[in-house]
Amino acid sequence: MNCGDWQERIALYAGGDLAPVEVQAVERHVEECAGCQMLLSGLRQSLGLLLEAHGEPVEAAHFAAVRARVLAELERGRARAWRFAWMYAMAAAVVLLAVTMWPRTEQRLVLHVPHAPTAPAVAKVVVKAPLPQRQVTEPSETVLMKIETDNPDVVIYWIAETKGETK
Amino acid sequence: MAQAVDGPDARARSGDLAAFEAVMRQYERLVLVTALRLLGNLEDAKDASQEVFLRLYRNLAKVEAASNYQAWLYRVTVNVCYDMGRRRRPSVAMEDVPDTVAAGDDPQQCLTGAERQRVLQMSLRTLSAKERAAVVLRDLEGLSTGEVARALGSSEATVRSQISKARVKMRDFVERYFRRRI
Repeated sequence: MNCGDWQERIALYAGGDLAPVEVQAVERHVEECAGCQMLLSGLRQSLGLLLEAHGEPVEAAHFAAVRARVLAELERGRARAWRFAWMYAMAAAVVLLAVTMWPRTEQRLVLHVPHAPTAPAVAKVVVKAPLPQRQVTEPSETVLMKIETDNPDVVIYWIAETKGETK
Repeated sequence: MAQAVDGPDARARSGDLAAFEAVMRQYERLVLVTALRLLGNLEDAKDASQEVFLRLYRNLAKVEAASNYQAWLYRVTVNVCYDMGRRRRPSVAMEDVPDTVAAGDDPQQCLTGAERQRVLQMSLRTLSAKERAAVVLRDLEGLSTGEVARALGSSEATVRSQISKARVKMRDFVERYFRRRI
């Protein structure tokens, strides 16, 4: 086994992360190998530097600044939420109003629908294919018929018009 | 039990901002210092901390027990810093290191505090994002490899491999940095 194979274990050993069963083997190897002694010494030195450089405390003002920024952002978020809540409430009121108005609108539509398509259809028929004119030989005559029912309050009048014969 | 129901966590969950401020005070060191170590810049770290706490507020209901806060906050802090790091800073190559430090055999003796900080920041930036997170959580925050694995969503074996590679890379960086000055 060459020293390259020991490198990972020595690096873990330097930080106290090696499994106890491997510690003795690493210590034996380092004792006999000058290169690995240097590696271990360098690892300990850089770890020491790392801990020392990051040991300096952060000033309390920086923590307070972060807290203030977070709270200000949350307050802004709440204000935005209230604005949206008002908008949603207004929208809901408009929808509610429209729903209550809906049945009247529907009734009106029902009344108008049957008449709408008939007029243009008749007009077209007249323009494109005019009906052949009937020649009337005799003038028309109006007939009035009175029909009495069992109920004396109900009398039916039937007005009809007779037309002349065609040739 | 009643204390837990009426505690700051529960009141914060119901929208009490003063209670949420108390929760922030409890975890602000964890978040800001971890972000600072990952990003190496205080202003970026403050931006990252703000984002982490806003996400915490939105997810208070999901972070059920107080024991979950720490793991959740470490995980989210690392993720937010990954995103910010990707947007803001390229990694550093050894050739980019400026010649500002005097030569010496022992780096710990020849460096001032500010220089030491700078050299270590540069060495951290030679690591991949995951290696940097692993070494920050293990060596600086003092979490166990199991806790680091949970925070990073990796296996313990992966974390151990990342930690050992990161330590070797940092040692190589520091050694080459000083060798160039001799």
